[in-house]
Amino acid sequence: MASSQKRITKEYAEVTANPPAGIHVSLVDESNVHNWNVILDGPEGSPYAGGKFTLLLVLPSDYPFKPPKINFKTRIWHPNVTFDEHGSMCIGILKPEAWKPSSKILSVLTATQNLLVEPVPDDAVESSAAEKFKNDRPAFDKEAREYTKKYAK
Amino acid sequence: MDRPHTHLSDPSPPFQIHLPPVSPGTALPNLNLKHSVDSRALTYDGTVDENLVCPICRCPFVNPVLTGCDHVFCRSCILGSLSHRSLCPIDRLPLSDDTITKAPKMVFNQLDSLSVECPCCKARISRSTVENHLEKYCLDAFVRCPGYIEGCPQMVKRVDSERECLHFLVDCPDCSEEVEQIEMKDHRENHCTERLMQCERCDLEIMRCEEKQHEESCPEFIRICKWAEYGCQYKAVSRKHILHLESCQFKLIGPLAASLKGEISQLEDKVLDLKVQNELQSRRIKFLETGSRTSSDRPMDLTDLSLANLSVSGPTDPSDSGNDYLLSLLEAQQTRINQLTAELSDFQGKNTMMLFNETLPIKNELAELRSTQQVTCMHVRWLLRLRLQENQRRFGVGPGPGSSSGPDGGGFGNDLPLSRRLSDSTRDVTTKL
Repeated sequence: MASSQKRITKEYAEVTANPPAGIHVSLVDESNVHNWNVILDGPEGSPYAGGKFTLLLVLPSDYPFKPPKINFKTRIWHPNVTFDEHGSMCIGILKPEAWKPSSKILSVLTATQNLLVEPVPDDAVESSAAEKFKNDRPAFDKEAREYTKKYAK
Repeated sequence: MDRPHTHLSDPSPPFQIHLPPVSPGTALPNLNLKHSVDSRALTYDGTVDENLVCPICRCPFVNPVLTGCDHVFCRSCILGSLSHRSLCPIDRLPLSDDTITKAPKMVFNQLDSLSVECPCCKARISRSTVENHLEKYCLDAFVRCPGYIEGCPQMVKRVDSERECLHFLVDCPDCSEEVEQIEMKDHRENHCTERLMQCERCDLEIMRCEEKQHEESCPEFIRICKWAEYGCQYKAVSRKHILHLESCQFKLIGPLAASLKGEISQLEDKVLDLKVQNELQSRRIKFLETGSRTSSDRPMDLTDLSLANLSVSGPTDPSDSGNDYLLSLLEAQQTRINQLTAELSDFQGKNTMMLFNETLPIKNELAELRSTQQVTCMHVRWLLRLRLQENQRRFGVGPGPGSSSGPDGGGFGNDLPLSRRLSDSTRDVTTKL
């Protein structure tokens, strides 16, 4: 327990001292390092550009042996994120069988950022978005832009 | 953007002190206490080499072990990981804890020599010596109170350990609060809210712990004039300053001097800028002068060119954009020439190689042909000689009575013209062949 906190504290210090472009990290509760508030800027060149997406990153007590959990608090129209109040995200690096204790939170955050640029429709959780993404990309982009404008401003 | 918050840095010290119970009467030889240090909570000097950092806890290895797949982890980290899944956390190969061995001595040595900050006295020491340093030498580390033989369970800093046990409660003479003797000095100087003192200057009664703040407001505190920087020699107690400000000779000059000072510093900056620009310009002029000369009588000098590179990369002034254009043109030409030269030499090399490659088989073939020709030559010569000998045998008597006079001489005479003809005939034979 204590060792997980030490590592999380270390990673938090690293991320806040050297924040990657377009990612802002803060703690939900100052006394608890396990819950992070992440604000992700929609990456340029994606239909999410201009939007600000709030994510909740929860680090389990047996981190880094178990992967962190990420949920979108801001609604987002994306093949790999459920379009509901949970905003559950499906991303390769966080799957239990793919997670490695040597992976860092920073790489999880940048992977999330990349997922916004390049959705993985074959690994979709929001099937209607995935269908549209595969079959009619311009319409998908347009819809994603509209939802970004509606929810993520 | 938030800086890491203070609470995030572990508030508890990175070591634990083992305080064995005291049995009164047994005199122990010293007051030292064993400290067990948590190496992960120490402050390391600079950034530690990534190769010495455990991929699981992200701290320099503590008790490193080597896995069967040649990866190094802290023992506690890899055991923790294996209790979740029996895979290597790096390459995900199956891994069990019986393949884990102690890491090579070299790794331990490297870790031992890492420089860390002593958690107490902040001195830089190597990691392996921290525990020993805290136990025996650090002046700010805790040792047993000298009164432990009498049963005092407290600890004191090593610097204070020379004195006898001061762990008894005393009433503060001012606030009558109960304070331990060892902390009395600090309490009376900085914390006691009842201890008053008289200001040496204004005779006002103030609290001891607020002495510093009082200096600001004390009317008797001696301070220098606001305009001392510009020459006012006035020095007096605070309360007279209001009067002095009215009559100060520097009352009018002061603000003026201040504004002038600001202006001068601005101008200095400007002069510095202009100096840099001037240097740049003179370099360009020099370059252009030498450039115009070189174009007529000598090839381009390399030093001039490096100068040109310098001036082009510097800040540019719109007034000499023509020069800039010329310079950039020159530079572009030079790079083109360089490119072309490089390409040319490249091409030359390629050509020689190609030529060599193509001529080599031809040469070989030629040599082969020559040797076959030689063989056929010899063959023909042999055949001709055979025929000649046959002829000689057939007409052996043919040459007539002349031969009888000297058969050797006749044979020689016959051979010579024949051998000459032989070389002629070989050519015919080969062509027929």
